[in-house]
Amino acid sequence: MTWGWSTKFAFRRNNGISIGLGIALLALLSGCQATPTAPPARHVVLQQQWELDRGDRVAGYLVSAGLGDVSIELGGDSVHAPFDGEVAPAAGQPSCVYFSSSDVPAYLFRFCGLRRPHLGTVRYGDTMGSGEILHFATLRRHPDGTWAIVEPSNNILERSLQPPLQSARP
Amino acid sequence: MTPLIAGGLVFATVGLLFDFQGMRSWLQESATSTTTEGCETIVQANAQLSREQLAQLLTIPERDAKERVRQIVSAPYCRLPELTVRSGVVAEREAYPLAFDPKTRLVILYEKDEYAGYRFSFE
Repeated sequence: MTWGWSTKFAFRRNNGISIGLGIALLALLSGCQATPTAPPARHVVLQQQWELDRGDRVAGYLVSAGLGDVSIELGGDSVHAPFDGEVAPAAGQPSCVYFSSSDVPAYLFRFCGLRRPHLGTVRYGDTMGSGEILHFATLRRHPDGTWAIVEPSNNILERSLQPPLQSARP
Repeated sequence: MTPLIAGGLVFATVGLLFDFQGMRSWLQESATSTTTEGCETIVQANAQLSREQLAQLLTIPERDAKERVRQIVSAPYCRLPELTVRSGVVAEREAYPLAFDPKTRLVILYEKDEYAGYRFSFE
């Protein structure tokens, strides 16, 4: 779905076409490849409002996760894209990103605690970042445009924590 | 020297022709694979969503009944594998290629016979 022109062309190359012509066409096609740009920060209005939430301070200490977050001790390991999709920075939450996918309409997934997250378009299984502790939340869209944090299934977290087998990739 | 240039031109022309045809078939395969990508079951092979159907669908709020959506969009082109996004709730996903842009498809997600939302999937 999101393969670049050059990747698709590499498949064509395996079928055997004149090398010189291939180089010329590759040069031509590489001009069609979009330059990756980071998506703008995503502003999400939560339906639930709690007294203490991520980013607040209590007795001088920073609150790093709120109600609805599942915290995982990653120990420096990587987090992977659970589907083909897009990673966007979370507005007002410097350590968080939102993952969205056309494979999962009506939902957003929030990942907080990733160091140097990979922003933009990702394929299923791509590394989105790594960290010591991951704070994960699943958000469902409501008719009024707000998003509600809901109880996540194990399934999405498993897809995010385990890289897919090569044979499982589409 | 001239025969060499002429030979090169013939070679390049044949190569271009060969590759153009290959590229055309590859593009056609690409369009087909976009439609079927991720599908588990093909429900109605000729299903497409018109502009009018899409416009009507966009007026339906999330959480409305699946039946109401189905009255507008009819049977889908295919079903994607079921998912569990929320704990204990099975999500059904159905895909519709757009009649006016077949390389784009609309994916609709339902939970418990309730319409949860849609997303466009682009090539």
